[in-house]
Amino acid sequence: MTEISQDASPLLEVRALTCERGERLLFRDLEFSLDSGQVLQVKGGNGSGKTTLMRIVCGLNDSFEGELYWRGDALGERWDAFHANLLYIGHRLAVNHVLTPLENLRWSCRLHDPADDSGIREALAEMDLAGYEDSPCYSLSAGQQQRVSLARLLLSSAALWILDEPFTTLDVDGVALLENLVARHAREGGAVLITTHHKLVLPRLRTLTLGVAR
Amino acid sequence: MSGRWQWFHRLGSPKWFYEKTTRWLPWLVGAMALFLTVGVAWALLFLPPDYQQGHTSRILVVHVAVAGTSLSFFPLMAAAGTVTLVWRIKLADMVAKHAAPLGAWFTFLTLASGSIWGSVMWGTWWEWTDSRLVSMLFQLFLLLGVISLRTAIENAETAARACALLSIVGCINVVIIKYSVDWWNTLHQPSSPISMEVGNPNGPEFWVATLVMIVAVYLFLAVSLILATRNEILERENNAQWVRELVAQAR
Amino acid sequence: MNRTGNSAMNRANAGAAFRATLKRDLLISVKRRNDILNPFMFFIIVVSLFPIGISPESAMLRQIAAGVIWIAVLLASMLSMDSLYRSDYEDGSLEQLLLSSQPLYLLVFAKNIAHWLVSGLPVILVSPLLAYMLALPAEGYLTLVLSLLLGTPVVGMIGAIAVALTVGLGSRGLILAVITVPMSVPVLIFGTLAVQNSLAGGSPLGYLALLGAMLAAAASLAPVATAAALRISLN
Repeated sequence: MTEISQDASPLLEVRALTCERGERLLFRDLEFSLDSGQVLQVKGGNGSGKTTLMRIVCGLNDSFEGELYWRGDALGERWDAFHANLLYIGHRLAVNHVLTPLENLRWSCRLHDPADDSGIREALAEMDLAGYEDSPCYSLSAGQQQRVSLARLLLSSAALWILDEPFTTLDVDGVALLENLVARHAREGGAVLITTHHKLVLPRLRTLTLGVAR
Repeated sequence: MSGRWQWFHRLGSPKWFYEKTTRWLPWLVGAMALFLTVGVAWALLFLPPDYQQGHTSRILVVHVAVAGTSLSFFPLMAAAGTVTLVWRIKLADMVAKHAAPLGAWFTFLTLASGSIWGSVMWGTWWEWTDSRLVSMLFQLFLLLGVISLRTAIENAETAARACALLSIVGCINVVIIKYSVDWWNTLHQPSSPISMEVGNPNGPEFWVATLVMIVAVYLFLAVSLILATRNEILERENNAQWVRELVAQAR
Repeated sequence: MNRTGNSAMNRANAGAAFRATLKRDLLISVKRRNDILNPFMFFIIVVSLFPIGISPESAMLRQIAAGVIWIAVLLASMLSMDSLYRSDYEDGSLEQLLLSSQPLYLLVFAKNIAHWLVSGLPVILVSPLLAYMLALPAEGYLTLVLSLLLGTPVVGMIGAIAVALTVGLGSRGLILAVITVPMSVPVLIFGTLAVQNSLAGGSPLGYLALLGAMLAAAASLAPVATAAALRISLN
């Protein structure tokens, strides 16, 4: 496990995080912090607990011991405020197949930020999905569906992005697009927690490797 | 959530429970044996036959005791469920896990003894107009629902919390079902058969015998639940140091 | 765009999230069609089995009509329950719902309403027709429809708790029924009593009031329990 030094007032801070699944220890006393402008890449083999870590930080999984802090406040009381600042894109894309990209994004944006249709159309265009706004998602390819999901990055005002394997089905252009988005978000003062086997080239990239201790 | 309550976890730690119950069990078993012997002997040998029901009233001694006990399962499971959900104490779930099948069994025994009694007194094994039997039947269904939810969910922790929530919902529901079935019943009772009222023609000796039996059945419940929980503890904590030492000693 | 600041100010209010969720679920159901058609068809088919299985004589049917319709409605809503949350779980929308900064029980409530509108309401609307086919006397119609209007949302909301508890399971059709059906007994009792009472010339208002009380209790408690169940299931 790699320990990362703590800053004075980190955006996200994880202290003494221990998680067991079944009888197996996934990680023990994991510590890291994430400041604005930083990208933290979580690495590790299959079953090393990358997704579990992501879900713990999101607040989806609470079978753990340890503390999470958001801007210095302990999470556990203030999940709402944290969730307003969080954008999570998991393995499951949250793209409904019968709805169109436009309809999908209208809903998922409303859960957090208000967004108008023109904004959504612009975001879809930026994701290279112009012309597909009104086709049902089942007619899109896996990579295009992933782009629909990633369009939320453009529409969100969340400071923290948590991306779980966002590159899996993207083509070369898509990969470049997403890398640019991540870099831009960091430049603008956001923070990104990302799992991928993809080699990221970013100025302030940090890595955290899970499963080394065992 | 986690972290804050760690001190409380230790208070309800399986090891603590196991050690305490090792000391309590002989006393509990002894008391249970005593009350059971006295209750059964009294009911079968010494209780005078009822002038109206004859020897059949002896069944009631067991039936009332078992029925009373089976009513305590949902409150017990709901309480354990609250502890599981709020404080995450594993011990509460170990108790709740075994309370459900035990409760189903007690509820079944209530129905069976009630229906045996009814077969003599009413001439029928099942009587929808008796609201107690009907609400017991639905309690049995609800308990079976909790058990099947437990078996359906593979992840033990998810299963524990899901069953905890269902037990709380079920506990509220059992009360509502009981009152609505009572209500339904009073309106569907054109010619009331002999009611299952136990008190009226019976003397104090019947009541005392029943009381002894109730205590005996409650002790039986406590002993079975403790034994089942102890097994569960050994199974779940089989990697813990103290369990290994215990097993090593036993060998 | 300043991404770290003023996001709290941009936060959409809870009402907008509620409406968006309601709208989305209705839209999905309308597009899928089966969500609306299947419970509806199931209801009609089950009801029409009773005269064949029991007796075609209207004297007999009149007596059982209210109970048959109520039970068929329960079974139909049980059947439709399966579609609630399933696709949302599979495609990950449920995770997003849980991560919303809006209160989860409110969004759950929106989903409950949407589900009732597409699976409960059509069944209720066709129930007078089936009541006629089962020879229910005319004075029972209004009470039947009113009792269904008050009772089916209760069943739906109780069922939603069970759905939320079993959402991660592969096959859950039967376990859902095993959990939910016993819990809907009080609704069945008061629903059928209301109809029978108005057939007997009495006023069904007392029973309808009880159903209304159950609806109020369910609407305030069940979404909270469902939200908790969803958090457990997705853990």
